[in-house]
Amino acid sequence: MAAQNKIWRQLTWTWKPASDRDAGDSVVRNLLLHWFPAKVTIGSLSFRYSFWLGTISAVLFGVLCITGLPLMFLYVPSVERAYQSVKDIEFVVSFGWFIRALHRLAAHLMVAVVFLHMVRVFLAGAYKNGTAANQARPVNWVIGILLMLATFFLSFTGYLLPWDQLAYWAVTVGTNIASAAPLVGDKIRFLLLGGNQIEQNTLLRFYVLHCFFLPAFVLFLFMWHMWRVRKDGGLACVDKLSLEQKRQNLPPVKSKTYSLLGITKGRTVHVETALVDEDEHTVSSSPFLTRRILLVMLGTVAVICLLALLVATPLEEAANPRVTPNPAKAPWYFLWLQELVTDTTIKLGDFTINGALIGGILVPGVLIVLLAVWPWLDKSPVQAVGVWFAADRRRQNLVFLGIVLLVLALTVVGTFLRGPYWRFFWPWEAWPEMPAPF
Amino acid sequence: MKSQTQASGVSRRSWFHKLGIGGLLAGVTGMGYAFVRALVPNVLYEEPQRFKAGTPGQFPEGATFLEDRRVFIVREQNTFHAISAVCTHLGCTVKMVTLNQPKRVAIGGREVEETREFHCPCHGSKYYGDGTNFAGPAPKPLACYRVELAPEDGQLTVNLDEPVSRSFRLTV
Repeated sequence: MAAQNKIWRQLTWTWKPASDRDAGDSVVRNLLLHWFPAKVTIGSLSFRYSFWLGTISAVLFGVLCITGLPLMFLYVPSVERAYQSVKDIEFVVSFGWFIRALHRLAAHLMVAVVFLHMVRVFLAGAYKNGTAANQARPVNWVIGILLMLATFFLSFTGYLLPWDQLAYWAVTVGTNIASAAPLVGDKIRFLLLGGNQIEQNTLLRFYVLHCFFLPAFVLFLFMWHMWRVRKDGGLACVDKLSLEQKRQNLPPVKSKTYSLLGITKGRTVHVETALVDEDEHTVSSSPFLTRRILLVMLGTVAVICLLALLVATPLEEAANPRVTPNPAKAPWYFLWLQELVTDTTIKLGDFTINGALIGGILVPGVLIVLLAVWPWLDKSPVQAVGVWFAADRRRQNLVFLGIVLLVLALTVVGTFLRGPYWRFFWPWEAWPEMPAPF
Repeated sequence: MKSQTQASGVSRRSWFHKLGIGGLLAGVTGMGYAFVRALVPNVLYEEPQRFKAGTPGQFPEGATFLEDRRVFIVREQNTFHAISAVCTHLGCTVKMVTLNQPKRVAIGGREVEETREFHCPCHGSKYYGDGTNFAGPAPKPLACYRVELAPEDGQLTVNLDEPVSRSFRLTV
């Protein structure tokens, strides 16, 4: 019994340290905790500052990886059998419907949460460097944008796989948008499809992208993202805290002096990150940060499980290259793009520019590039770092919110106000009866 | 050793260093090229783009949709032509809409009586019966393809690889 207790303690003491000293040791001694700092500021743990959207995204990604594994055993990436195997997952396999629902809902939520995370970081000016040395938050912001794009591509490649009507026509439209790119467009389409038509090669390519390349890319970027958060001294609200402390003219806080013989050139190195009063403003990562992370995990998984029980997972008719559904709609998060490609064909006399190029490539491309370089264009003072709706950033926040609202508005129009032949209908208007295929 | 370095200006060690790095880069580049090139198919097992559609007598007056090939065969008395059903905007299949009443429209300065139109379900592009785009985001008219009579059995042969002008007609 005593031996059992000892083993149990050995395995778990890092998660419930008995003293401050143990708490400090735990992040060094436990592999799973090694990426956390010994201490975190209380403000960074606040739900109201960050809404924990990044953590929720990461949890959703984890859920997607785990639920994706059984699906990979059950799904057959072949044009003849893909649809049937998804139907089997839905109606024949034990709990298949549940695993598929979890996977699909986690994917939808991840798109939404990653987008909201980006909005949060912008509005709080959290992509800006504070006063600490060697910060590179703008780089982390760019990594975040790449993660968001990878999330979009993961959903795009994912909803092709059931090989139903939604899948087939989404890929038709998506790859034709790619082919509208100047010069290399047709080559990109050929490489994506593995030919001129959407067939077996296309399905297999999207399958491998979805199950290996894109998740591996996300995993790599995720590690880099987390590493940068540590290097940048934690969340941006920590910089705000240290500025406040400076302003209050408090006596200098206790700083530490480490002897790093053989590591650095001098005999000692002064650690500058200890700008906040540790006793007053920080707690140990274990168990205070870990407990909240586990709570967020629990909450996220609980919400997806509940949703999976309540929301049915649709499967349209099997892919039919002969009949385009009417209306043919992309999933909700791409409907703003579908609305854009519809509205942006420009005619100047005899000269016409396809909306696929303007709405499908140029407009989203410019938005993404603008987002990526914005931290270098934002010249607001350091006081605006980690502050929601800072007065110094009011104008840019308003413009940003305007663009976000425009994207949301186009999404709403595409989702609720478009009927057959992409005609405009108010929600209370009935759609006309459409004859079967023709 | 020292004298060698001074003689050539480059030490043996740094020469081997460069050789090693260069070899590694060349190897990675070569493998990368092979990897990407392997994904560009050399053979496509797709349906041939030139196909037989049937004898002229099988086609009624007006437009007949060949759904497998996404093309309309239009018969006007003894002339035939083929209009693509692939929308020029983003490649969805357009649907034929037969008008209840013929309407007169001006196409390229010429007044024509229309009995049918083509509408795209994806983004709402519209085309006149001859393929001319007139509404929605479509940037250009539907493609027209060459129609021939097969010499061996007199069937209409459509070649989806050979676009022709919109005035093209095969008279039988």
